[in-house]
Amino acid sequence: MHCSKLILILIFFLTGCFQNETVQKKDYIFGTIVEVTIYGETEDTAAHAIELVFNEFNRLHRYLHPWKKSIVQDINKSIKNQEIYTTQDQEIFSIINHNIELELKTHGYFNPAIGKLIQAWGFHAEQFSTDRPNSNLINNLQRNLPHMSEINIHGGYISSKNKNIQLDLGGYAKGYALDQAKKILSENNINNALINIGGNILALGLHGDRNWVVGIQNPRKPNSIASIILKPGWSIGTSGDYQKYFIVDNQRYSHLIDPNTGYPANNSQSATILLPPAESSGTLSDVYSKPLFIAPEKLKHSLAKELGIDFYMIVMADGKISISSSMLNLIKWHEKIDKKNISVH
Amino acid sequence: MRKLIKKIFQFIRVIKIGDLLTIFIFISLTFYLASILWNFPQGEYLKIQMGKKELGSFSLNQNITKIIEGPIGKSEVIISSGKVRISKSPCTKKYCIHQGWIKKLNQTIVCIPNQISISIIGNRKDYDSLNY
Repeated sequence: MHCSKLILILIFFLTGCFQNETVQKKDYIFGTIVEVTIYGETEDTAAHAIELVFNEFNRLHRYLHPWKKSIVQDINKSIKNQEIYTTQDQEIFSIINHNIELELKTHGYFNPAIGKLIQAWGFHAEQFSTDRPNSNLINNLQRNLPHMSEINIHGGYISSKNKNIQLDLGGYAKGYALDQAKKILSENNINNALINIGGNILALGLHGDRNWVVGIQNPRKPNSIASIILKPGWSIGTSGDYQKYFIVDNQRYSHLIDPNTGYPANNSQSATILLPPAESSGTLSDVYSKPLFIAPEKLKHSLAKELGIDFYMIVMADGKISISSSMLNLIKWHEKIDKKNISVH
Repeated sequence: MRKLIKKIFQFIRVIKIGDLLTIFIFISLTFYLASILWNFPQGEYLKIQMGKKELGSFSLNQNITKIIEGPIGKSEVIISSGKVRISKSPCTKKYCIHQGWIKKLNQTIVCIPNQISISIIGNRKDYDSLNY
């Protein structure tokens, strides 16, 4: 009798030790690793919600794919053939309209119409080639740089007079997927979750009685340079030259092409931004890190101010860190950072 | 001193097989619980993931070679007393191999072409997820 009581008490305490507070699932979508972590739900409820989110990610991946069969590819084909694309799909209209608006807001540093340039650099493949493209081809594409504003959307029709337009929503889709995931989780009454799509992260609610914490990758080492808290609804996005790139003759070529030169931007190693909760903030956390990565050093800070980005950190090509004072207040370094290598704005 | 030894001998004479068994069971239980609850002094072990599948967690205190079958071929992970690396990979760039050894908590090597990620994780976590 006593023995069984003792065993019961033991079991009670020991299960307390092993209780899982979070359910985490990973998958491989959008050509990268996606991960959803849910706090404080049963395994079944969480797994079901995560499945719905992954289904939506798979749908968006097929829907917006830049170089495989997708609505984006169909639109690109009809623009190339100077035909009018007809559809009743409201979602693609709002996505394209949003991209037109974002190109204008970022002064063209975010330009999803330059699919031809990105393709010429060999980034329209699962495995990148190690060949530098012909410079005549790049210069020619850059001289005839297309803009989103040259796309006409009327009623159910999409067309453009500029044959050089080739949509590539690779810099938009993951952020858009974050906002979609947020919607799906809220609809399923999941209030505490962390969504990570290839490094772009959006936090919902809390991790128990504390905020979610995310690590920020060191662009040149296999560990985190710092960590930062994500308050409920906040999102973080990084553009870096260390995930999609190739190196020829000791020169690094990343997938972030500067529309003003036609060549991969090379003044930074990474640009990280943190955005408070707002309409489409997940999308913007993906999109707005690009202009900060690409723009010349002198313009980065004024651009951040203009776009309303208070929290940002840029690791420059020489490894020096340029950080906003608001970001500096939130960040917790994991490495010893020399004071002379950091400038605060 | 002699008295003490005498007492111990007296005690040994009194204890029976059941007492010995009890002592043995409790000592084993103590060691067993300590080994499962106090393992990973720094809370560190290796987690290997391929695509959506978690292939398992492995102690870092061993010397083994794991072959992982990914979508483009076989990758080889070496665990060598406390540190880990990817030693063979079918991807063209071999960036995962060039990363070399990792041994600290939360270090991760990702091979995107073959959909493999290996990370050193533990009970103590610096963060919930990684922004890259």
